[in-house]
Amino acid sequence: MASANMKDIKRRIKSVESTMQITKAMGLVASSKLRRAREKSDKVKLYFDVLYETIHEIISENRTYESMFNGTSNNVLMIVIAGDRGLAGGYNTNVLKLAQNRYNELSLSKNVIILPIGKKAVEYFEKRNFKIMAKYTNIAESIDIYDAANISDRIVEAFIAGKIDRIELVYTSYVSSLTQEEKCVSVLPIENEGMERKNNLTTYEPSAEEVFRMLIPQYVSGILYGAIVDSYAAELAARRIAMDNASDNAAAMIDELSLIYNRARQNTITQEITEIVGGASTQT
Amino acid sequence: MALFSLKVVTPDKVFFDGETEQVILSTVCGEIGILARHESYVSILPPGPLRIKIGNEFKTAAISQGLVKVSKDKTTIIATSVEWHDEIDIKRAKEAERKAREALSKKLNDLEFKQAEFKLKRAINRISISSKYNNK
Repeated sequence: MASANMKDIKRRIKSVESTMQITKAMGLVASSKLRRAREKSDKVKLYFDVLYETIHEIISENRTYESMFNGTSNNVLMIVIAGDRGLAGGYNTNVLKLAQNRYNELSLSKNVIILPIGKKAVEYFEKRNFKIMAKYTNIAESIDIYDAANISDRIVEAFIAGKIDRIELVYTSYVSSLTQEEKCVSVLPIENEGMERKNNLTTYEPSAEEVFRMLIPQYVSGILYGAIVDSYAAELAARRIAMDNASDNAAAMIDELSLIYNRARQNTITQEITEIVGGASTQT
Repeated sequence: MALFSLKVVTPDKVFFDGETEQVILSTVCGEIGILARHESYVSILPPGPLRIKIGNEFKTAAISQGLVKVSKDKTTIIATSVEWHDEIDIKRAKEAERKAREALSKKLNDLEFKQAEFKLKRAINRISISSKYNNK
């Protein structure tokens, strides 16, 4: 009986060990990919900061743009970025929860359309029969600015045509290797509340309106690209932590199981000795 | 001549960050040259050349699309991509041109047409800059 029990324990130790190998490998892969993703997102941030600053300067100098977009369609587009894969701790759940909350808020007065990016987001919203504009999967890892531009072109086109009044973006931001933060930001229209109007001494060619109009696609693709890259870095960081924890748990489990195994082994040996001793004493 | 600070950023890298005497670039309204103490100015850049004076010589790069903003203390160019003429992969550019032409020969909706056209412009720009300034 004891030996059958020992076999079971041994099998469990083996299975935990092989799981640990997988979690360890996944953790390593995530951390090496994370480094690259972080470099990418740092560079995008720099680019986007300059873009953001410029576009807000134009807005603060001009009010003309306000009349350009007066959507009355009552449609809001919500872009939701989640991962393509699971096993990343609370990464997918957290961002989808925030998106759902925001959706509940918005849908009270507006008609909300979703644009999910990442397999997990697509699955979530398709399963619940949300209205979906377009969906994108498996793009986060190797995305470049042109991929982002292809997505944002469609959005901007719908916005300029007045089919959408408002665009919001739900994604996860990489804060540090230990923390990620889910965020909901407004993309369009660009908000300028609380901004002071400055003196307009800048020359715009061909005109302020035209510059602003041509800048919008670049602005949106910049935001989108930045958010996708940022989310991907956050996903990898979350996965790395989840996998590290899993490996730690597996190691603890192996320790515990080995203890039980050794105890069982000692028991069988003790029992065998008692049996031998018992057998020998009856013979003499 | 007086120097001014110039910064050229793309999503992938800071392409140029330093002082220069003059920058020449083509905006949607035509070619302009920027010197130190230029007035405040903003314009949009289509695919075209970007020439930066480094030392006594101009170095040319291909810009894919972007924005130029001149303010009192600095000039900033934001572009989706910029490459020095000697960095351009001519094979890839020719391949992109072929693909864009192929796409344009099909029936496309407005948006697809615009995207393909833009792609073609970018490819042609890179090819022309590469062939004009390389091998010299």
